[in-house]
Parts: sequence; C-alpha cells; structure tokens
Amino acid sequence: MRIPPTTRSDPSLKSTWSHRAWVASGCTTVLIALANSIMGAAESHIWLEPILAGLVGYVLADLGSGVYHWGIDNYGSAETPVIGPQIEAFQGHHKWPWTITRRQFANNLHALARTVTFFVLPIDLACHDSILLGFVGVCSGCIMFSQQFHAWAHGTKSKLPPIVVALQDAGILVSRPQHAAHHRQPYNNNYCIVSGVWNEFLDTQNVFGALEMILFFKLGVRPRSWDEPNSDWTEETETSSQVALP
Amino acid sequence: MASVSLPKLTLHSLFPTQSPKTPLCLNNSILHKLPQSQFHGLKLSRSSSTSIPSSSSVKTSIFAKVTQGTVPPAFTLKDQDGKNVSLSKFKGKPVVVYFYPADETPGCTKQACAFRDSYEKFKKAGAEVVGISGDDSSSHKAFSKKYKLPFTLLSDEGNKVRKDWGVPSDLFGTLPGRQTYVLDKNGKVQLIYNNQFQPEKHIDETLKLLQSL
Repeated sequence: MRIPPTTRSDPSLKSTWSHRAWVASGCTTVLIALANSIMGAAESHIWLEPILAGLVGYVLADLGSGVYHWGIDNYGSAETPVIGPQIEAFQGHHKWPWTITRRQFANNLHALARTVTFFVLPIDLACHDSILLGFVGVCSGCIMFSQQFHAWAHGTKSKLPPIVVALQDAGILVSRPQHAAHHRQPYNNNYCIVSGVWNEFLDTQNVFGALEMILFFKLGVRPRSWDEPNSDWTEETETSSQVALP
Repeated sequence: MASVSLPKLTLHSLFPTQSPKTPLCLNNSILHKLPQSQFHGLKLSRSSSTSIPSSSSVKTSIFAKVTQGTVPPAFTLKDQDGKNVSLSKFKGKPVVVYFYPADETPGCTKQACAFRDSYEKFKKAGAEVVGISGDDSSSHKAFSKKYKLPFTLLSDEGNKVRKDWGVPSDLFGTLPGRQTYVLDKNGKVQLIYNNQFQPEKHIDETLKLLQSL
C-alpha cells in the first residue's frame, strides 16, 4: 500500500539536483528554439508566421496535454515500461490531489523536462526555420510547464500570485474550477491542463468516450474511468493541513 | 456462389429514418462520398456449404436489409437465463428491439438504465423491450442483475442477427452500431433510430412513436 506524502518536508516532494538538471536542460532546449525563431524572424523581417506558429503550438499543447493525461489516467499501471512511474504518480495525484501544491518546482516538472529535452534538442540542432522553431518552442515550453499550470490549478486563489489568477480567469491558463471538475466523479472529463481551451469541445463531443470504446472493442482494454474508483484511485480527504480546492 | 440481386442503394444504414446523428457519427460524411446511383439491399445468396465472411462491417455499413415498413428476419437467441427466445414470441404486441455495443460500457449502461427507468411507460403502451448485443448470457445476467433491468437481454453471439438486420457500424466499422427498431403488433418495423453517443435519446424517440401507434 502506498503511503501518502503527508508532510511538507516529505522527501518525495522535494527537488533533487537531478530534477534541477533536467529542468535546466529542458528550459535550455526550449529557449534555444525560441531564440533561434526570434533571430530568424528578425533577419527575415517575417514575424507574423512565426508568431502564428507559436500560437498554434500553444493551442496544440493543450490538446496534447489532454490526450496524454487521458491515456495515463486510464490505461497501464506502475509496471508499464518507461511510463510506469508517471502512471503511478498520476494515480497518486488522484488519491492525494493537494500534494501537487507541495511539490517543489523541479520535482514537479522534471519528467516533462526530460521528455522535452529528448525531443527538442535534435530539432534545435537540425532545424533553422523560424516558423517551425516558433511552433516547437512554444509547444514544448507549454508542455513542460503544464505541470506548473496544473499545480496552480490546485491552488487557492488567495495564495496564488495575482498574475496567475488573472491568467486563469482569462482562460490563458487552465482554471481552478475547470480542473476541479476533473477531480470529481466520474473522473472522465477536463483532461487538458495547459489552457483548458480544448476541454469543452472534447467533453461535449465525447471524443475520449469514443476513443475508449474503440480501444475496448479493438484491444479489449477497459479504461479506469468506466468502473467505480477503487481505493487506489479514490480521493482521500486530507487532514486539517489540506490546501482545499476553491 | 454469390449472386447479386439488383440494386437500388439504400442509404438507410448511413442515413436511417429518424436518426439525428451526433457529430462523432461519421455516417453522414460517408454518405456524401457515395455515388448517386440507387440500389437497394444487396442480397447475397450462397450455397449451404459456404458461409458468409464475417468481416462484413463494410457491407453492413452500406447495405441495410431491414427498413421501415418491412418485417425483419426472425431469430431465436438465448436470454440472460440461457433460455431460447424467438422474435415471434412478441407478435401481437409492439416490441422495441435495441441493438447496443456491449454490456458494462458507459453508453450501453446509460441506455439500459434509461429503458429501465421508463419501463412502465413502455408497458403502458403495451410494448415489450428487448436488448441485443454480442455478449454471452452470463454477461447479460450480471449486467441485468447489477442494474436491475426488468426486460430481456439477448445474446447475439457472433453478431449474426446484427448482420442479418443490417445494423450499421460506426467510426469506420470499429464500433458496433447502436440502433433501435420499433416493431408494431404485426411485426412490421415502424421506426429505426440510430444514435451511438446519445443513448438516452433512443428511449424518447421510441416512446414518442409508441404513443402514436
């Protein structure tokens, strides 16, 4: 049985130097992509397309975050190769959602930063197109920071920086109420965690429901969201030290 | 040897009567790509030594054999208790035959519970309700018990009846279709309603029709 990280000093919530290194490398690859995009745009005086590409990257990062989140919330287990630890972490998050607000920055982001490093570094080395780099830089940056946006979505309004609250209220970052809906029965909606702009469409059109049915009929796998949450999944109510969802 | 009898394409399974499609049901988009020729109900007759290939999802998505006004093919299937039930058992009263993808999936559960919750209205209209999927009797028994379903569930193992009736598949053949037929007391089809992703609508549409019969 897993033991919840219950105290702020729990080592599993703290950043290690390895975490920090991965976040540094992820940020470096993203910044290189963005910098090269900006320099390319400045040289060619073509700004509109790289900016639009960046916007597309921001929008698609939200969709990507939802698809990935849906996948690991519903399928696989701690024993799944490569992503087993992430699946376990997401299950733990559903059981103890408030703990994400207590994770230190690099601890929270390092897994995504590692993935971003592997994908973006080769692109940085091979590519010099300012439009593509604009897309890649913004998309990968949003994906890497999606865990931070996610943590903020679990925060309380009074404890968040005003700029974050403003961005959440403006729909630029995923909002606290929208993400709170994901943590309520039947745990099958509001999967996107960058801006949340795709959530309404994906949920009203039942896109994930359709994908779940296809996977069920083709591969015989049932998503976790179809069944009553078992004790591994059901949220525990915290003690008095809980940071409540607003 | 298969022989093809002549054609007038029925777009029924792509565009059945009274079937508002949800955005995710792509049948309408397939419809627009078809040629404008008309042929109806491709009939394959084979000698008894051969069997119709089971990969007929393309066939069933294009050609419907059961249409409004026709009498559908008879069947005898096992119910949730393993007993044989024939369609002819219901002659003399209206019957709602609803084909659904599978037990214990969200849409099918919603649909079954919606039929359950409105079952008195169906009884009041003198109608019986029968659900059909490819699951076996033991799956139906568990499903029926869990949700306290008061009506019969039939096991169409191998999806033979689904194919015979021409129930179209969804999403390029990946999903068994969700299609409901209302038969009048003479066994003739008065309504065919298809909607994969809004299962509760099957209850509204069928009740509406039954109340007018």
